[in-house]
Amino acid sequence: MTTLRTPAPPRPAEPRAPRRGYRRKSQPEAFGFLTPWLLGAVALTVGPMVVSLYLAFTDYDMFTTPHWVGFGNFTHMFTDDDRYLRSVEVTLIYVLVSVPVKLAVSLGVALLLNTRRGTNGFYRAAFYAPSLLGASVAAALVWRALFTGGGPVNEVLAGFGWHTPSWVDDPNFSLASIVLLGVWQFGAPMVIFLAGLKQVPAELHEAAAIDGAGAFRRFRHITLPLLSPVIFFNLVMEAIHAFQAFTPAFVIGGGRGGPADADLFYTLYLFEVGFQDFRMGYASAMAWVLLVVIAIVTAIVFRTAKLWVFYEDRP
Amino acid sequence: MRRMRARGFGVAAVAVLLLIGTTACGADSGDGGDVTITFAWWGSDGRANLTKQAVELFQKKNPTIKVQTSFSAYAAYWEKLATQTAGGKPPDVMNVDTRYLAEYGGRNVLADLNQGAGKAVSLADVNPELAATGVYQGKRYAVPWAQNTPAMLYDPAAFTAAGADPAKGLTWDQYADATAKVSAASGFAARGATDFGILDTPLEIWLRQQGKQFYTTDGKLGFSADDLRRYWQLASRFRDTKGASPADVTASYNTSPEQSPLGKKLTSSEFAYDNLLPAYRKANGKNLNVAPYPTGANGDLGQYRRPSMFLAVSARSQQQEAAAKLVDFFVNDAEAGKILGTDRGLAPNLKIRAQLSAGATGDDKTLYAYEAALEPKLGAAPPVPPKGAGAIQKLLQRTYEEIAFGRMGIDDAVTRFMSEADKSLA
Amino acid sequence: MTALRVPRTARSVGWHVLCLCGVAVVLYPLAWLAFASVKPPDEILSRLALLPSRFVFDGYSKGWEGAAGVGFGRFFLNSFLVAGLSVVANVLSCSLAAFAFARLRFRFRGALFAFMITTLMLPYHVTLIPQYVIFQQAGLVNTFVPLILPKLLATEAFFVFLIVQFMRGIPRELDEAATIDGCSVYRTFWHVVLPLSKPALVTTSIFTFIWTWNDFFTQMVYLNDTEKFTVPLGLRLFVDTSSQSDFGAMFAMSALALVPIVLFFLAFQRLLVEGVSTSGLKG
Repeated sequence: MTTLRTPAPPRPAEPRAPRRGYRRKSQPEAFGFLTPWLLGAVALTVGPMVVSLYLAFTDYDMFTTPHWVGFGNFTHMFTDDDRYLRSVEVTLIYVLVSVPVKLAVSLGVALLLNTRRGTNGFYRAAFYAPSLLGASVAAALVWRALFTGGGPVNEVLAGFGWHTPSWVDDPNFSLASIVLLGVWQFGAPMVIFLAGLKQVPAELHEAAAIDGAGAFRRFRHITLPLLSPVIFFNLVMEAIHAFQAFTPAFVIGGGRGGPADADLFYTLYLFEVGFQDFRMGYASAMAWVLLVVIAIVTAIVFRTAKLWVFYEDRP
Repeated sequence: MRRMRARGFGVAAVAVLLLIGTTACGADSGDGGDVTITFAWWGSDGRANLTKQAVELFQKKNPTIKVQTSFSAYAAYWEKLATQTAGGKPPDVMNVDTRYLAEYGGRNVLADLNQGAGKAVSLADVNPELAATGVYQGKRYAVPWAQNTPAMLYDPAAFTAAGADPAKGLTWDQYADATAKVSAASGFAARGATDFGILDTPLEIWLRQQGKQFYTTDGKLGFSADDLRRYWQLASRFRDTKGASPADVTASYNTSPEQSPLGKKLTSSEFAYDNLLPAYRKANGKNLNVAPYPTGANGDLGQYRRPSMFLAVSARSQQQEAAAKLVDFFVNDAEAGKILGTDRGLAPNLKIRAQLSAGATGDDKTLYAYEAALEPKLGAAPPVPPKGAGAIQKLLQRTYEEIAFGRMGIDDAVTRFMSEADKSLA
Repeated sequence: MTALRVPRTARSVGWHVLCLCGVAVVLYPLAWLAFASVKPPDEILSRLALLPSRFVFDGYSKGWEGAAGVGFGRFFLNSFLVAGLSVVANVLSCSLAAFAFARLRFRFRGALFAFMITTLMLPYHVTLIPQYVIFQQAGLVNTFVPLILPKLLATEAFFVFLIVQFMRGIPRELDEAATIDGCSVYRTFWHVVLPLSKPALVTTSIFTFIWTWNDFFTQMVYLNDTEKFTVPLGLRLFVDTSSQSDFGAMFAMSALALVPIVLFFLAFQRLLVEGVSTSGLKG
């Protein structure tokens, strides 16, 4: 039987068939609607990106014309600038600690809230509130006061017999206080988790319970896989935000990166280099390194997603 | 044309915003011959009230000149000035610190007051040595606004109880012993001294006591790694005996008296400037006193007649004459001198200074007495610090904090400081 | 398998207790702030108890006087202006772009949409410096223009995306009905799709307002004159120039700074929460 191998008959030569669903060519009005966005994309996004890429290879300082320095900025960053490496270290610690903790807490609380219908709304709103307020200067000031020497946090800990120094003034503790501020804002991912949990069919849980699966097994084998796309989304968004954290670090670190540079976040150092020392070329190089790192991290998460994210519509 | 509608929308909106934006800017020159200049300084609210009073007086005496004022805290002031300068619109008249004089002067941001409109600023009654501190590379980029001297501010009660009298002059060893006693007496709650390892001025004085300098005339560090090591070892001695503030209190140090450890009653003495005595007294609440620095074995004070801060005119100012007039007013007008008092230091104009000291009362009297007693012992002022001095001030603080928190040994910290300082000064 | 049967009501009460404890811990900083703003200055840090020994409202009057010679009222005004204009700008530009992406056909639509989604993940620092240079050359540093113009040009992909997703849920039949009735694309947008997108637009407005109100970095970079300072900048200035004894004033102003957000939140919390969850799910 050679029919299996018969190639499909050649398509008749005809003018390129219009794409499915398109009855007309592109609508000219679209241009009008898109103008602001296009302008923004070119003048404020793509254009500046290209310029900043160029600047990253120069020694531009706003006062004199830029000179090409090739990879000079990049080599300086990684071999000659201790504060840069410190800022990388601080930011990485912040991301690697605050993001998982925040996600764990938000998932935990979401699970807790999900066990009961009804008064959900009040608790959901209450836990969500800090997400809106947390990134503000006001909240960071409160945090600074709470964690300072003689403040409430130290008082409570002293009650348990733990005598801690002023969190915000001690390099061993200040970053922890900023991580806690980040975790405090777990409400936003929590809300997303709640919505995702609602989509897990109750029948699955009931069936599993009948089969004798305990709560933990059900969580591991039903909830978690079905929730994985949401976990994925939250992980990516939270990681991206964490890399760019600025206000809490600035306010709690007293505007200078904290004691002994303990709170010198990457964005903080970038701000100092670019807007206080006016080494704009160097700052641009730093910005691009940040972009590349975020892109790599996102790509890694996307890649590994295939291993652990379970989409219902795929076999 | 319908297509234009959506676009027209956007264009109109941008136009409206630009309009709002430019009117929010504020006009540069008023109408009919009136001139407006901008004037910025650093300090806290108390100082601002006095300064504004003086500005009111200036405006009364010069009805065609309007002055727009603004002020911030020290650190924020420099951030703002940097952004304003980069944006092309620095204030017409600005406050400058000796650590930033070279940087801003060298960048041609400050006008040379020996030329053009700047000649209106008379320095005839100012001590020539003090006036010379505003000259960098042959150009007079700024004039001294006031004179002060580095000093030790302390709580007399605490030190008397420890058997020491800083006003009579102590040696560093005696100071170390006294602070340890003061700390112990308070159960280590209020330490004897604010750890001075983070401060550049004590380092400078200490170096001068040994005949050395902080910066050389050609803009490099005037001290060696070994010098720094010994300085930090000295500071560490205070820490080891708990005579000095614990690391986290030291790390909370802020240049404003209200937020410094002494101001918060966490220590009983601090190295600062004599003119800040009233502000410290208010913050601390106790009757603090002012004393000279501790000295080394040879008794050399190492202190000098220091310009506490400068006034400068922007090189890009459109109103150079008006700006120069304001500067001259602050330096030479007797009534202005009376209003400003000793908040920034002693008046640079010696005639005004003599007038004021004759009628001084309270805190001011203490100050004038202190300066008068010190006058014969003051040495020559050092050369203008080079560009990068501001960064080095911060570098010193950061690096010593590593030592104070036990994250770095002194030797490593010294090496790190020296190499980074060289880069800042390059 | 018979688990230990804890009575229903006990479980329910237990759950509520647990949740309430969580809420108490989470909202403690905010409660602390509210009380700190009316405590006598020496009690603010020294007393652990939330409640003050006596209520002191000086903090509010003193704080209102402002910092560096500019009253807090001015800071609030500036913040309202910037946030308000941003809301208008964002809603306008993002809905225009969203309509194009959701409803219209044009070349490269797919590619441009994908591009827009990638800008979601772009750290703004990469465009910050050249944008700053552009505005500086145009003499627009120290105005509100750099803060509002990007919103006018739909640079916030998050909202475009939000509105696109919402618009996709509006039945096309409505559009077609309008077209049959003789509406041009513009009229369809203005009279049919836009009104139906109200929930997404309201969500956009609220989030824009809140995020702009809280924005510190961009405002710090572009605003120099104290008179132009917004609330975040004013608050920071206040902290720098005040003494230990002014803590009450500082917290009073911090509390005030959060009030608009809290108000928005209380009024629209359901909508906000829905908005967040839908954006998360369809993402």
